[in-house]
Amino acid sequence: MTTPTPADAPNRPRLLPGRNRNPDRLPHQRRRRTRRILAQEGVFDAIVSLAGLLGRPVRNQRGQEIGRLEDVVARWADGQVYPPVSGLVIRVGRRVAFVPASAIDRVGHAEVSLRSSRLDLRDVERRTGEVLLARDVLDHQLVDVEGVQVIRAADLYLAEVLGRIRLVGADVSSATLLRRLGPRRWRPRPTPDRVIDWAAIQPFNEPVDPENPAAGVRLNTTNEGLHRLRPGELADLLEDLRRDERRELLAALSPDEAADALEEMQPEDLEQLLRESDPVEAARLLAAMEPDEAVDALRDLPLAVRAEVLRHIPPRTALGLRELLGYDEDEAGGIMTTALVTAKSGEKVKKVTDRLSDASGHDVDLDAVAVVDATGCLVGDVTVLDILLALRADSDTRMSALLGEEDVVTVSPHASANEVAARLIETRRHSMVVVGEDGRPLGRILADDVLDALVPTKGRFHFPRLLS
Amino acid sequence: MKPLASRRWLVYLAAAGPGLIAAAAGNDAGGIVTYSSAGAQFVYRTLFLMVLIAIAYVIVQEMVARLSVHTGKGLAALIREEFDLRLTAFAIIAFAIANVGLMVTEFGGIATSFELFHVSRYISVPIAAVAIWSLVLFGSYRYAERVFLLMTVVFIAYPIAAVLSHPDWKAVAANTVWPHFVASRSFLLLSVALIGTTITPYIQLYEAGAVVDKGVKPSEYHFQRVDAIVGAVLAIFVAMAIIVATGATIGGTGPLTSATTAAKGLEPVAGAAASTLFGVGLLGASALAAAVVPLSTSYAVAEALGVERSVSSSFRQAPVFLGIFTFQILVGAAVVLVPGNLITLILNTQVLEGVITPVTLILILVLANRRSLLGSAANGRLSRTLGGVCIVAVAAVAAVYVLLTVFGWFGLS
Repeated sequence: MTTPTPADAPNRPRLLPGRNRNPDRLPHQRRRRTRRILAQEGVFDAIVSLAGLLGRPVRNQRGQEIGRLEDVVARWADGQVYPPVSGLVIRVGRRVAFVPASAIDRVGHAEVSLRSSRLDLRDVERRTGEVLLARDVLDHQLVDVEGVQVIRAADLYLAEVLGRIRLVGADVSSATLLRRLGPRRWRPRPTPDRVIDWAAIQPFNEPVDPENPAAGVRLNTTNEGLHRLRPGELADLLEDLRRDERRELLAALSPDEAADALEEMQPEDLEQLLRESDPVEAARLLAAMEPDEAVDALRDLPLAVRAEVLRHIPPRTALGLRELLGYDEDEAGGIMTTALVTAKSGEKVKKVTDRLSDASGHDVDLDAVAVVDATGCLVGDVTVLDILLALRADSDTRMSALLGEEDVVTVSPHASANEVAARLIETRRHSMVVVGEDGRPLGRILADDVLDALVPTKGRFHFPRLLS
Repeated sequence: MKPLASRRWLVYLAAAGPGLIAAAAGNDAGGIVTYSSAGAQFVYRTLFLMVLIAIAYVIVQEMVARLSVHTGKGLAALIREEFDLRLTAFAIIAFAIANVGLMVTEFGGIATSFELFHVSRYISVPIAAVAIWSLVLFGSYRYAERVFLLMTVVFIAYPIAAVLSHPDWKAVAANTVWPHFVASRSFLLLSVALIGTTITPYIQLYEAGAVVDKGVKPSEYHFQRVDAIVGAVLAIFVAMAIIVATGATIGGTGPLTSATTAAKGLEPVAGAAASTLFGVGLLGASALAAAVVPLSTSYAVAEALGVERSVSSSFRQAPVFLGIFTFQILVGAAVVLVPGNLITLILNTQVLEGVITPVTLILILVLANRRSLLGSAANGRLSRTLGGVCIVAVAAVAAVYVLLTVFGWFGLS
């Protein structure tokens, strides 16, 4: 598993911005992908539909039918882009047996022929890193990393690539579903009009042991493309996945990636995600989130669950969160973030920039530095740009020299979102400091936080949740 | 640190809901009309059948809660993943047909309640259809839903009415513990309707969806089970109270044909206001279900097709989802506008539910039996047998009815 370095983060090859759910982009991207898979010479003729192949005869060298195809076993592990087929599960009479890939001669559209006439049938045993394609992948959820969507595979395609039979693509079209519903002889005909190249797919390690669900939470292969997705796109994926798949996807992300994605999720979906996770896991995710977002999420949880989760959050973080929880959701204290960088008025600019660089994990919440006097009371609010310019002129400049003539713009923690918006508009600032009654800075409100609070969000339909 | 007992109570409250709400939603227009009709036509004779239905209902609700808690998936998704695609398509289409039937019921309930207030159905139904459609699409439904739910609280009056109507308690008890079935076509018809209205397929999908939506973990399952069972028992309790109350007041007057007669069941408690009370409750119950039923169809279709993203609220983003939603409201409203007796129409759609219910029930039983899916939470031998017997019984009643009907077409019965 790799995490993206900050350096490669900005050049994500995305055609359109993240949260845009314009359906137009998908067919366009699909066309592109189809061309790619079809461009490989001979692949089109060679691809075999898994749905069409199931239940078809498996013949030996002399053409005698020895059984019917029940399932295809593929190897997920090894980090291969196109998982190789490691064997077949065939039904011989009432018995089910395993045939290793080495015994396969040819996989046709409507039958499989084996290499030898003699065959030792072994019992089926699923080794780690192997999946049964028909049972565990077909009709199950997959993530299309390029198209940024959760799909249910309507069909899977196999082809011989680099000397082995491999899984090369998944099909999501409704035409394929109809083909599978239709008469049997339609089924082997591949309809690759909406095939997604397997390279763009993040599968799940579905065989979660029902006895011990926690054991299955790991992805054997992680699609590199996942790490190039924006937080908003990951949030969309997390919203559409079901519990086990969602847990696997979260496990594949670094804690910071996961926290960023969670911040972008719809409140109802985030609530569901946190409630269905283990309290320790939920606490880990919440602790990595920006405090204001974490508090919003905690607010949606039922009291008992909230208390349970808070107990697992590191004490210092939990203390800050509890303080924020004391404010109302729609007042300044509830909107603000406590990720606030402060500086003494006597401090030099250079030292303050060091502190800013330490706090760069909160980059989206950094807009200005609150300047306090010796007693800790707020005396000014200096933008990051001013500090940067001062640093270039003379790194020994003291913060007090950057304080403007006019009064510092502040707001009380009990001000309403509308009041905050009005203050921001009249002062033309991007953020302002929230100050307690004793004059000490408590947190900062950014313009986008106010937007979130004022713009009504319209999410997806959920079953009504009264009494909760 | 609070004492353990009270913290447990809090955790239970956090998990409570889906079962209770499903139960409340189960006593919809179809339920009230069917139970009232049972009391009117056969007095207490259906009570023993209600006990059997209660057992089946509790068992099914428990299995559904167990399935969704342990897999974290809705029923439609589970069916798609675990069964053949053709079976999935069959189940989803059956479900959709049942839900269109339910929409007819709900609009029938809305029309009936307005007719009690002397408003013609040609005015009330189109307005209600537009109102529900826009309430759901423009997002203010959550508030409306609370109002509707509050209106259904009226039906708490039924248990009181059952007591105040001074029924022959000896007869009630005898009919509850020992079958007093009538060997007639109309009794069979009513039995199918009672099964259909109580164990509606939509209630199962709703329960599963709501459990998943609440993010209930396997470790919290015992709370969820209490919720599912309490909800189911409560629903049946109210249903039996309706039968007793109507049985004592208008029992033996033959099949129910008008809402005014049905409202008489509430007279012991409300006197002259019975009709108003009945109308308010019926309206609340119908409106509540009329919004949730089409959503649950769309939800199930999206889940089975694997296009969960489409469960969003803008028409441009989700044409299929909202198309299905709109279609159901249109059909439901249109059928109700065809002149005819509304009460009979509602009763007939309950029979349709009863015929379709076994499809969902069998799939639920098979899923809950699968160790590969649920591990040690799968049905043990006892629940496997008990569940099997119940579902076979329900399916048998429906099958006998369908066979008799088909024979009837050829003049054989």
